[in-house]
Amino acid sequence: MDAGQVEKAQSLELLTGTDSLCPSVLFSPLRLLVVYPWTQRFFQSFGDLSSADAIMGNSKVKAHGKKVLNSFSDGLKNIDDLKGAFAKLSELHCDKLHVDPENFRLLGNVLVCVLAHHFGHEFNPQVQAAFQKVVAGVASALAHRYH
Amino acid sequence: MLSAQERAHVAQVWDLIAGHEAAFGAELLLRLFTVYPSTKTYFKHLGVCPDEAQLLTHGQRVLEAVGVAVQHTDHLRAALSPLADLHAQVLRVDPANFPQLIQCFHVMLASHLQGEFTVQMQAAWDKFLTEVAVVLTEKYR
Repeated sequence: MDAGQVEKAQSLELLTGTDSLCPSVLFSPLRLLVVYPWTQRFFQSFGDLSSADAIMGNSKVKAHGKKVLNSFSDGLKNIDDLKGAFAKLSELHCDKLHVDPENFRLLGNVLVCVLAHHFGHEFNPQVQAAFQKVVAGVASALAHRYH
Repeated sequence: MLSAQERAHVAQVWDLIAGHEAAFGAELLLRLFTVYPSTKTYFKHLGVCPDEAQLLTHGQRVLEAVGVAVQHTDHLRAALSPLADLHAQVLRVDPANFPQLIQCFHVMLASHLQGEFTVQMQAAWDKFLTEVAVVLTEKYR
């Protein structure tokens, strides 16, 4: 990663971290379930997912989403070794959770859209490019231990 | 197949774009080339660093085609047949590139429209553009 991307990774870490959670970022996992409904397959036991409103108001999904974003943020602290940082999580998603890595790319894309909502015109093509590279790095790290 | 509700959301999104096809089209292409540089391989005629005029011209063409698709969500194949022929016989853009264009479209709309671009609108717009991409590539073989 170049300096600009490291900066973006650090911003992303701040935006998704526990202490300074940007409220709109919390909606990313919820938005994933609305825009790409087949991702709901992992959340059969999470209650009412029957409509966009039901999903956006579902407290179980929201709580799980917060967990996902905290892991994301923690992993970003090791921007120079994302594969190492996400190694255990990668194994978990492969061996226990059986999640297709394509889902990591979809969540990353939704996160970038949410950031665009949040930053508005500041989210120019260069900023988008840097954040897309960061989320792609995380997705790749999460897929790395699949076998 | 879009539901009536989804068609309404697609129309809502288009209302926010209509009249600004060139500007939105140019920004869409600029985001595509910046975020996914390999997509520039399909635009050799625009040069290594396309200028604003070129992006506006080509961008307008792309968005006007999207506008045609919006008007014909019930019969996309018929409405987009000439464009599908063009993509199959001349342009031959690898189908893997369309999701990248679609992502840039969502990001552009989110950054311009913020709260006005709701999650329901994004879901419908994604489904619609994905259908357009399928139609544009289905004559490839």
